[in-house]
Amino acid sequence: MTIIKNQTVRTVLRYVIPFGVIPALVILGATVFDEKRYLIISFGVAIASIVLFMTGIEKKNIGSRRMVMVAVMTALAVIGRFIPLFKPITALCVMAAMYLGAEAGFLCGALSVLVSNIYFGQGPWTPFQMLGFGLIGLFAGYLSEPLRKSRVLLIGYGVLAGIAYSMMMDVWTVLWYNGSFSPALYLTAIVSAIPYTVLYAVSNVTFLLLLRKPMGEKLGRIKLKYGV
Amino acid sequence: MREFHEYNPIAVAVYYLCVTAVTMFTMNPIIIGISLVASILNYALYAKGGVKPHLFSLILFVILAAVNPLVNHNGMTVLFYLNDRPITAEAAIYGAVAAGMTVAALYWLRAFSKAMTSDKLLYLFGRLSPKLSLILSMAIRYVELLRVRWRKIQSSQRALGLYDDGNLIDAVRGRARVLSILITWALENGIITAETMDARGYGTGRRTSFKLYHIRMRDIAIIAVCAAAATIEIVGLNAAAIEWYPIIEMKLFEPVSIIGYTGFGILAILPVIINTKEAIRWRYLRSAS
Repeated sequence: MTIIKNQTVRTVLRYVIPFGVIPALVILGATVFDEKRYLIISFGVAIASIVLFMTGIEKKNIGSRRMVMVAVMTALAVIGRFIPLFKPITALCVMAAMYLGAEAGFLCGALSVLVSNIYFGQGPWTPFQMLGFGLIGLFAGYLSEPLRKSRVLLIGYGVLAGIAYSMMMDVWTVLWYNGSFSPALYLTAIVSAIPYTVLYAVSNVTFLLLLRKPMGEKLGRIKLKYGV
Repeated sequence: MREFHEYNPIAVAVYYLCVTAVTMFTMNPIIIGISLVASILNYALYAKGGVKPHLFSLILFVILAAVNPLVNHNGMTVLFYLNDRPITAEAAIYGAVAAGMTVAALYWLRAFSKAMTSDKLLYLFGRLSPKLSLILSMAIRYVELLRVRWRKIQSSQRALGLYDDGNLIDAVRGRARVLSILITWALENGIITAETMDARGYGTGRRTSFKLYHIRMRDIAIIAVCAAAATIEIVGLNAAAIEWYPIIEMKLFEPVSIIGYTGFGILAILPVIINTKEAIRWRYLRSAS
């Protein structure tokens, strides 16, 4: 089974997915299926976006040093998920993104979810979580310059990432429970998830502030010393 | 003796995807009933956790079943009023079915998680790209490596008299130092790994990979059964129409939908049948020799 080992197939996928598969899925969902099928559509779109990104990685020349760094950061994030209540996973992904680039941030987020779910349980939520943490890492990578300079901005990003992630997963909870989207249930889900949202935001900020200097020094030193 | 979970990971993943998808995308009470029973049986094949996960499922079921009638006030049959809002039988039954669906899906996924060990995950996900599969396998390996190293650093720090968890502040400080050492060690060591990879010619040629799993006839058979059952399901479930509000109207026993239930029943009980058959054969072979 060598689905995407082939170079041409990968290139084709890079154009077919954003301009073909995702619009087709959305249009199909709006017209052919009844409302009960939102979940399949969102599931399909989530998987398609992850595949799109992963095929993009293959083309980029990441370099073996950066690959190993991403693997180390991913493993640290996975171990961090075992800490009860306070999870440093977002903070570690943001750190990886700030010093190793946006792709590294996406990979660190998406893969740490995939690997840690070996221990915590895989399910249809895995692609959504992968996409959620991947995007947190990706945007942190795009904002790496200002995030590295300003502590206030970093705190803001941590809070925002916690809230955004929680609200995204609430959409998924409602879709799973109800089949279609219902504002009343969504509100219930958001309200009942407030403690978790606060916990996410607080632990993001705590770990970002704790790790900002020591982790930044270490990654910066590695970058300077070896030119990752 | 080849248990169901030792089949090719593609077949196992397709199977679990099929049963979970059918369970999750229907609100047909009969399908959900079959699914719930079969998923608990299937989970019991692999679980050694005792009563605890089942108790968790029961509590989850009760909570989820209660949410819908409390939020949704549609339906004709009013049971009682809570804060001047009607609690209806229709919403309660819908909530119970939805909760059954969720719990059944969770049982399937728990069994799936038990089946998908890291080597199988790598086999499935590593196909996306060679670079990705390399990062993934390194990350999986580092998780265990870093745990071992954490213990090593901790004990050496303790031997040096630098680690003390007598009070909270010292414990946090000690852990922070261990973490700091761990990260530096991992990053430096990672660079060495990258150097050796480069020195041995990583990236200069095509990568070959070791395949742990082969696709056998039985794997193809499983995938075929899944595809057939899923097709029957889509046809059969469309025939059974259910209206929930304002009054429940179910046409559950159309001839086509009965075929659908049978198909799903066979599919859902498949791992139990395979494992029981293998166990009987194993006992028979042992007693014959």
